[in-house]
Amino acid sequence: MKQLVTLEVNGETQEFAVEPDTTLLGVLRDHLGLMGTKRGCDSGGCGCCTVHVDGKAVYSCMTYALSMQDHKVTTIEGIGTDTERDPLQSAFVKEGAVQCGYCSCGMIMTAKQLLANEAKPDEEAIRHGIAGNMCRCTGYHKIVAAIQSVANS
Amino acid sequence: MTNMSVVGKSVERVDACEKVVGGKGFPVNVSLPGMLHGKMLRSPYPHARILRIDTTRAEQLAGVKAVITPKDVPQIPYNPMFFMPMTSPGLTRDMLMLSDTVRYAGQPIAAVAATTAAIAEHALELIEVEYEELPAMFNPEAAMREGAPEIHAGVKNNIRDTPSFAAGDIEAGFANADYIFEGTYETPRVHTCYMEPRVCVADTDTNGHVTIHASIQHLFGLRERMAYALGKPVSQVKVVQPPYIGGGFGSKLDMAYIEPIAALLSGKTRRPVRIEQTRYEDFITNGRHPMKVHLKTGVMKDGTFAARYASTVLDTSAYATHGPEVILVHAYFGLMLGYRSPHMKWEGKVVHTNNMPGGAFRGYGAPQACFAVESQIDEICEKLGFDPVEFRLKNTSRVGDPHPFNPAWKLNSYGFPDCVKLGAERIGWSARAKADSGSGTKKRGIGMAAHPLWVSGCVGFPDIYEHSGAIIKLNVDGTADLASATIDIGAGQNTTLCQIAAEELGLPAGAVRMSCGNTDSLPFDAPTHASRVTYSSGNAVKVAATAAKARLLEVAATVMDINISELDVRDGMITVKGLATPTTSVADIVKRAESPYVVLTAEGPVPTTLTEKGTIIGTSSLAPASNPSPATAQFVEVEVDTETGQVKVLRAVFAHDLGRVINPVGAQGQVEGGLQQGIGFALMENMLFDPDTGACLTSDFLDYKMPTAVEMPRQIESIFVETNEPTGPFGAKSLSEACLIVPAPAIANAIFNAVGVRVRELPITPEKILAALGKL
Repeated sequence: MKQLVTLEVNGETQEFAVEPDTTLLGVLRDHLGLMGTKRGCDSGGCGCCTVHVDGKAVYSCMTYALSMQDHKVTTIEGIGTDTERDPLQSAFVKEGAVQCGYCSCGMIMTAKQLLANEAKPDEEAIRHGIAGNMCRCTGYHKIVAAIQSVANS
Repeated sequence: MTNMSVVGKSVERVDACEKVVGGKGFPVNVSLPGMLHGKMLRSPYPHARILRIDTTRAEQLAGVKAVITPKDVPQIPYNPMFFMPMTSPGLTRDMLMLSDTVRYAGQPIAAVAATTAAIAEHALELIEVEYEELPAMFNPEAAMREGAPEIHAGVKNNIRDTPSFAAGDIEAGFANADYIFEGTYETPRVHTCYMEPRVCVADTDTNGHVTIHASIQHLFGLRERMAYALGKPVSQVKVVQPPYIGGGFGSKLDMAYIEPIAALLSGKTRRPVRIEQTRYEDFITNGRHPMKVHLKTGVMKDGTFAARYASTVLDTSAYATHGPEVILVHAYFGLMLGYRSPHMKWEGKVVHTNNMPGGAFRGYGAPQACFAVESQIDEICEKLGFDPVEFRLKNTSRVGDPHPFNPAWKLNSYGFPDCVKLGAERIGWSARAKADSGSGTKKRGIGMAAHPLWVSGCVGFPDIYEHSGAIIKLNVDGTADLASATIDIGAGQNTTLCQIAAEELGLPAGAVRMSCGNTDSLPFDAPTHASRVTYSSGNAVKVAATAAKARLLEVAATVMDINISELDVRDGMITVKGLATPTTSVADIVKRAESPYVVLTAEGPVPTTLTEKGTIIGTSSLAPASNPSPATAQFVEVEVDTETGQVKVLRAVFAHDLGRVINPVGAQGQVEGGLQQGIGFALMENMLFDPDTGACLTSDFLDYKMPTAVEMPRQIESIFVETNEPTGPFGAKSLSEACLIVPAPAIANAIFNAVGVRVRELPITPEKILAALGKL
């Protein structure tokens, strides 16, 4: 039985009719076509689906859409575009932190919250901060360097 | 070669910007009008016969458009792996798309297409199945026992294959040896953990032809496998090239069940059908084959090998898939040919069990071998007092040694000695302490491992596709489109190939764009597998670029009325010998070539020539001479906590001979990512299964542990030894696999150096270390 939920996504408030078990990830990808938020595991284990809810990084696959009534959601599309990239997006490109890129958007969303909480995290804080986001290509080395470069700028 | 402007530079990845703002090109994002969603019903039993399937209730559910069971499926046995011709006599074809015999827990037995994924999933619950359970075996030793039930009829003792290899006289070698060492080494089933799930969208047209989008590593392989399994000619299957996929690491080198099943469901409904695997389904689709390797090695007093014997048992699981090939690569390149020995012998067994299928995974049997060989070398050195660095250098190949399978071909370039020397220097090898000489509860150790010779994916192995092709087309704006069936699986293949094309064409970095075609429009290319794209596809791209450039200069010579030998291209401009400034641009020449015969200008109509007309294009389709060997040495420093058994990798130094680096940042990325997979293999990754039901217990990232940013060393250093391979594009060889092959034994050897215990079974968990220390 579908129910209505109103939430704000990237500054735009919309109403959605969703099943009780529809996740925020499902709304973003299937209803809004916001494909930057990826489904990697559907069980809160990989971090590819990370978005911000009221400024806090969450796994959208572990968040029911109905629990998002009146909350503000920001996705990767909400923080930058190809012509106006967020500094983290630019740093990931510049530092070679992107390989297959499937984890990149979730990783950037996590990093963005990390930098919002702590302006100048050291390497250990960065590594622990992104430990909930899996990457199988890069060994994280250049991802950490990219986040550090933004923290230091 | 010294004045290259694009090759050797860390140019920005061609897809990086798109990926950080959303990455719309992933196959997981493909959606077509009217698309249905498919789901597969999987067997809870590891070995069973299906007596009855009733789909009536599922078919009646609103939104369900098609249900298929084994009776709706062509019963054509196939092998899903991509890189060998399906009709090859050496290939075992023992899988069916849907079968009434189940051989592992999770094998699909029916499928549904519905208007939503949720409805399809609900429909699965309404399918009634009656099974007859059969005895299941999960251990190769048990499966080989005399009288064990046959998993495949006629495969005696479940031994699918018994390959072997011999050179010299092994018994004489051992008789002559001063010392003999023996040991058994085991490696577990691990998963590639690509991040993008396996997904496909299949669409059948009114002629019954299928077009498919999929997250796979080989366009033409999927076309061939699907056509075969569906009983169609290959021309009726079209595979669309994605701009990139979300990782593969080998797992996407075979057809899964989803692709042909989506095609059948689409054929039945005449609507596009999408199937996306859950992470659980991804985990049980394929994984690295577990192996047990026994080594017996004879050594002379001078530290050379007298005789090397090995035997391997590989668990190829429910179906043969890659097993018989993996064990050959494992034996030849992993166990035997990396080090010289006058007498060698190897015997292998490829054994069926009721475990989930094995597949390809970066290194393809070599990591299992390297762990055994490189661990044992350190055991030998420890016992006999040899320096592990010197011992390895003494026993490896030399420039000019013959290629193992292609006698006409020699090791042209071989930088292994430099890799070892430079790596040892960087890690501080000379200051390495004796084993277990530290004090306190946290002890440090340094270890090394090497992979001296690696030619996976090469000419010379029987029945393996190796040829590549490319089409390069110049545009009126001075750019070029490159078409190649290579799939960028994350390693930056598209960027590398564009750099090679730009360098050869004389265009600036960024002026060459990888276009996306399909199996109808592209020349054949072998898979993105082994360590081959930079070398093999790179050579094809370079040849196509040479042809396009030759035509460009031919047109330029006509237009400029000058001898072609006077012309060259640099940075997008046509240069004339002796003139400091270029007179015209590539764009101008292409415009002229594509213009009408009479060009209308402000000054009036100007006739041109017929000989200059037409698209400026270069094509290639060729097999490379071979696949020259990269070489690798790795050094690590670890810290072992003797109270908890935990191991931290503090520092890693890799040294690779990769001929020439096309993109340094890209190459470093390969090394660093390979290390993550290698540390996982060494210390934590292990797929676990219920011992009674065979059900996978580690089917998400909460239960299957792989290194996060926290577990990775803070220091990773890549040394690239550039030997300039004469047959490679701009001197390049390939790189990828070695980065994952060497870390596990290097870490095992460093652990020994730290605490004096040797663990011969991966993963080296804290429990195993504590047990070895006598604390458990």
